[in-house]
Amino acid sequence: MIELIDVHKSFGHLLVLQGVNLTVAKGEVVVVIGPSGSGKSTMLRCINGLEPIQKGRVIIEGEDLHGTKTDPNKIRQRIGMVFQSFNLFPHKNALHNVMMAPMKVQKKSRTEAEEIARDLLDKVGLADKMDAFPEELSGGQQQRVAIARALAMKPDMMLFDEVTSALDPELVAEVLGVMQRLAEAGMTMVVVTHEMGFAREVGSRLIFMDGGVVVEEGDPREMIPNPKEPRTQKFLSMVL
Amino acid sequence: MGDVANAFFNGEIFKESIWLLVKTLPTVFEVLILGLVCSYLWGLILSLMRLSRFRVLRYITGAYIDFFRGLPLLLLFVFIYYGLGTAGLKIGALVSGVLGLTLCYGAYSAEIFRAGIQAIPKGQTEAARSLGMTNGQAMRYVILPQAIKLVVPPLTNEFIAMIKDTSLMSVIAVPELLFRAKEKMGVVANPTPLTVAAIIYVVFTIPLIRVAARLETRRRKRPTGGIPASGLTPEAEMKLLAADIAGQLPKGGEGH
Repeated sequence: MIELIDVHKSFGHLLVLQGVNLTVAKGEVVVVIGPSGSGKSTMLRCINGLEPIQKGRVIIEGEDLHGTKTDPNKIRQRIGMVFQSFNLFPHKNALHNVMMAPMKVQKKSRTEAEEIARDLLDKVGLADKMDAFPEELSGGQQQRVAIARALAMKPDMMLFDEVTSALDPELVAEVLGVMQRLAEAGMTMVVVTHEMGFAREVGSRLIFMDGGVVVEEGDPREMIPNPKEPRTQKFLSMVL
Repeated sequence: MGDVANAFFNGEIFKESIWLLVKTLPTVFEVLILGLVCSYLWGLILSLMRLSRFRVLRYITGAYIDFFRGLPLLLLFVFIYYGLGTAGLKIGALVSGVLGLTLCYGAYSAEIFRAGIQAIPKGQTEAARSLGMTNGQAMRYVILPQAIKLVVPPLTNEFIAMIKDTSLMSVIAVPELLFRAKEKMGVVANPTPLTVAAIIYVVFTIPLIRVAARLETRRRKRPTGGIPASGLTPEAEMKLLAADIAGQLPKGGEGH
């Protein structure tokens, strides 16, 4: 479903990804951990082409993202993404944040888009906040709107980029709860996070990145208590 | 003392001048409204070209903006009306006026639009792109609606300057306030008509100055909360302010 082959990415002289190989199968929940600067967020942004790459290939459902005949906008419609800083559209209320892409990108009618948006906002527990503007919502609520907004495009897979890192501790659970339900519903997910509890309970595979490469991967329930690589051991001993 | 009062506040001439000058207002408004619409549209187009992916387009636009920000508007009016006229391209006075305002104020407002667009956090574009929007769709539905709200106060300041700059059109025989006031002054050999013109100018500019100041305060007071709900960073605020000031600077000694 998602395949990264020898992906290299640098910002000027700074090498961020130095040959990342990763395969994500349909329905998998891949949790990516690693120290800051290890390239995990950059890798996520390369999956939907928000960052151009210098070398390697990104293949989404058999299509090469950087192929000459590929329209990256079409591929992005199938990949939902949720950001650390929410990035809701501040000039639109919650309902219209969710409705915008189905209407403008998929050319759905207003009625149809609104139906989708209401249903999704209800599912993330915000039925009473449809008319609220982002600045009137708590961080946890904003992030749940952002998840609904991504889901409104009916994506085949979802990318989560440290989505709880900007939240107050008491708001983390409501966002993780929504993500857990999404995973249980069979969504293919790549989750960059520091939440080890989430990795253990929801993750079907754990990836440890450091220095721009995948250092170790495995079943989170085996890997968290017994990491094999010294770098993984060191990292886990610091975060647990 | 009596002489000074008679020179600038001659009751008889004052009364005569009021009606004479008020009659020019439809012309002034026509030029202003056309100038406003054309220059803001042109400025928006210029700003988008200035931010284009294509380097050549960026450079050409940058050169255009610098050139017209550096050029005295008075010279531009004279050039368009008399210069082109002499070269065989005769353009009417009103059209010359609107064209001059558009060329020059387009360049000023382009810088303001650019600052407004650049003040919108990058995450907004990323969120839009991640939803499958093209660059154009992201600009149209996400960035511009936010940027335009941001540039209303600086554009109001531009408009105030534009009102004052319509007086420059008196040299190309646009029958506006200053043109008629000078005419009358010649006839009656008394500068009171200028006083009347001055009053009419400030009647229109002062309320707008107050409005602009108020919009400015309101924008600054906007709640941002602790969370980056893509409120403006202090850095972006400064950039926007800088563009506003830059837009005002080249008009030489016209600060308000």
